[in-house]
Amino acid sequence: MSLVLLLLAGLFLPLFPASLVFNRVLARQGHPSRRALFLVLWPQLGVLLLTQARTSVPDWLAAWGLVTALFYAYRATALRDLGHWIGFLATSAWALLWLSDSSPAIRHVEALGLSAPLVLLTLIGGKLEALVGAVSTRMNLGLASVAPRYAAVLVVAVLASVATPLAPGFFSLVGTIAAQPPGAAAVAIALVWLLWTWSGARLIQGLVVGPGGGARVADLSLTAAWAYAAALTLLGLAGIALSEVLL
Amino acid sequence: MHRFLYIDNDRNIYFHTGLAAETLAGDQLTTRADQGDSYEMERWVLLMVALPLASALLGHLLADTFGRQVARLSIALSLGAFVVSVALLIEMLGGGPAGVLALANGWGLLLLDPLSSLMAVVVSGISVIVHLFARRYMAEESGYARFFVLLDLMTAALLVMVSAGDLITLLVAWHLVGVLLYFLLGQDVQSPTAYRYAFWTLLTYRVGDLPLVLAAGLLFRAYGTWSLPEIFAAMGADTPAQILGLPLPEVVGGLIALSAFARSAQFLLHTWLPYTMGGPTPVSALMHAGIVNAGGFLINRFAPVFVHTGEVLHWVFLMGLVTAVIGSVLMLSQHDVKKALGYSTMGQMGFMIMECGVGAFSLAIYHLIAHGVFKGTLFLGAGGVIGEARRDDGVPKHDLYTFVVERRPVRQRRPWLLMAAVTLAVPAVILFLSHYLVEHGFIYRQGAVVLLFFGWITGAQLIFATYRMRTENLARLLTLILVSFTVVVLGYTLISHAFDLFLYPDPVLRAGINAAAGIEVAWFDTLVALVTVVIVLGWLFTYYAEQRRGRGRDWLAGLRRRSYRAISRELFVSDLYGWVSRRLLAGAERLNLWLRWS
Repeated sequence: MSLVLLLLAGLFLPLFPASLVFNRVLARQGHPSRRALFLVLWPQLGVLLLTQARTSVPDWLAAWGLVTALFYAYRATALRDLGHWIGFLATSAWALLWLSDSSPAIRHVEALGLSAPLVLLTLIGGKLEALVGAVSTRMNLGLASVAPRYAAVLVVAVLASVATPLAPGFFSLVGTIAAQPPGAAAVAIALVWLLWTWSGARLIQGLVVGPGGGARVADLSLTAAWAYAAALTLLGLAGIALSEVLL
Repeated sequence: MHRFLYIDNDRNIYFHTGLAAETLAGDQLTTRADQGDSYEMERWVLLMVALPLASALLGHLLADTFGRQVARLSIALSLGAFVVSVALLIEMLGGGPAGVLALANGWGLLLLDPLSSLMAVVVSGISVIVHLFARRYMAEESGYARFFVLLDLMTAALLVMVSAGDLITLLVAWHLVGVLLYFLLGQDVQSPTAYRYAFWTLLTYRVGDLPLVLAAGLLFRAYGTWSLPEIFAAMGADTPAQILGLPLPEVVGGLIALSAFARSAQFLLHTWLPYTMGGPTPVSALMHAGIVNAGGFLINRFAPVFVHTGEVLHWVFLMGLVTAVIGSVLMLSQHDVKKALGYSTMGQMGFMIMECGVGAFSLAIYHLIAHGVFKGTLFLGAGGVIGEARRDDGVPKHDLYTFVVERRPVRQRRPWLLMAAVTLAVPAVILFLSHYLVEHGFIYRQGAVVLLFFGWITGAQLIFATYRMRTENLARLLTLILVSFTVVVLGYTLISHAFDLFLYPDPVLRAGINAAAGIEVAWFDTLVALVTVVIVLGWLFTYYAEQRRGRGRDWLAGLRRRSYRAISRELFVSDLYGWVSRRLLAGAERLNLWLRWS
């Protein structure tokens, strides 16, 4: 029974190839708010199943999680579409939860901390998508020049998603690395982190940098920009507040 | 209520809660009486960090209202941070106790000690100069207010980095410096080229961040705390754990060294440095004068770890040596003045790391400060020099020009035996006497001997070069050069000795660092002899090649051409990295295609 629950958790804390299902389901969610809800709930179900299994995660499953995280982090480096990138990063990040040795309650917090910046990114990406049809690095959006508020929110959300301090993901990753016995697992997690940065920076450059002109973008309203800024600040403060349990 | 903690010269650690302080010496825990107000200075560290942070916040909020006037606010607050840092340094120089301000449980410790106070003055001082320069220099650029916000955030991150008293605070600051530098280098948001090189920098910095994260993880696992003073104290008290068959300090030291290599552009992790000249000049100045030196700081911060290592410092020395040589060679082959400055920084960073490798930790700090000051000046002046040169090169066509720039030495005959004796003996005597003045037993320190060796070679090269300059009065020229050399060597020796006493007042720690950097005497003597032979052969080869210029054999000409090609392509390192990253991206793209982006 435990093994069945663990394997079922492998769908929600996606392990390859079950991760293919997650990414297809995510891509089919039309409205950004549905996608955002999906990003919040999906890993929470996974953690719940993991808890219900009432057994420690076997080494082979933890290794599988790590390989999945590496695989998706690597594949994310070549992505050009924001929606795909969010799905791949979520897959990679949640797969690392298999290596966490935290208590169930803290694991729920870790999952939420990894999802939260992706949720913000989904919402801001959804608004952009409504304006220009798609958010892709191929489109020469040059957001920093034509829509600086969008650019600023997008950049900070991407940075928070790739576990830049003081996002909760930063503390989760440092805590997970510190919890690993010395050896390949810790190095592999560090490599996953490096690949996230690589793909995140490529995404930022593709969407934000350049003269723009690929599409007409009306900038984010001041109120909306403040709301996103407040949410991102809250995320940073949550990272600091939760650091004691995440580390 | 704040918690304070400090370490005294006997390496006892004191926890101070405002009501009572506890002493932790090894395994013994005793209670001390309240130390009263003598801990107030730690609060100033917080103020020093808060000022640039406040400036960044206000600059962002007020940019729409006050426009370019926010630069004045930024300058005023960065000046405030500099004044506070100077006050803290004066306190430390006056023998004030080291201490830690704890902002949160578990991490968030800000350290006040000689190293942090000195580095804070360097960081905030360079930051003020860059602020002042940028106020006018950036006036025509778009994103003026954003630039000052980023500059203030960078100053704050650097100040937190040098003051960090625990691993998490250090990691946060270390990581943020890389991210902020990425955006500072990409100040021109319309330039994909600037961002491409900023991206290289970010990626190299992340490569360097990760060993530090791994080291932090290992230290936390071993000692159950993130606090640096607690870890250092526990390291001295305990028998080190074994990691993959190696002692913990050896592994941690290696990882920290790797992090320092990436931050300080050591060979194979250097390609970002010369290519980031597309960024604004003030950023180049800040980067070359302050940020790139962080490797030397990191090694110094972890000196109590390196004391317990066996081989790590030898590898550090080797890496520094290779970087110094390659950086200098690549600098000489550049035609672009800013790129040449970039490679010059790489060479200097090599020397700095090499100094750490021979155990001259405090000398590395002195070196990074001296380098920061002169390289910052060069960068901030580079634009003006280039502008002047476009109107009129202003270079007089006299002998110095033909000698230094056109590389056309004068061929004159001198009494070679006398000249050879002067060349080899005079620098050695000056170096020996100046070091003997500050420390009689320096000759027994291998690190000092290695550095003296380099000094001797440099001095000999300098004197050798003067013979070939056209001059009416060789004796006068030689005297002037020797006096300058003596002043420089004496100054360097005295100041570095003062740095040593200030940063490492504990003679046991100083001896420990030297011991960790040392090797067996027989090996050391053999290596010195070998290097001497290589250098002398190099001189002879150069002499031979000069004599046969234009009449060289084919193999020599071929070797020269191949070497030049490799050097002009910067040893193909960037090409290799570019090829590898393209292959990796192509592989990822193929995988995505097969799996239909799921």
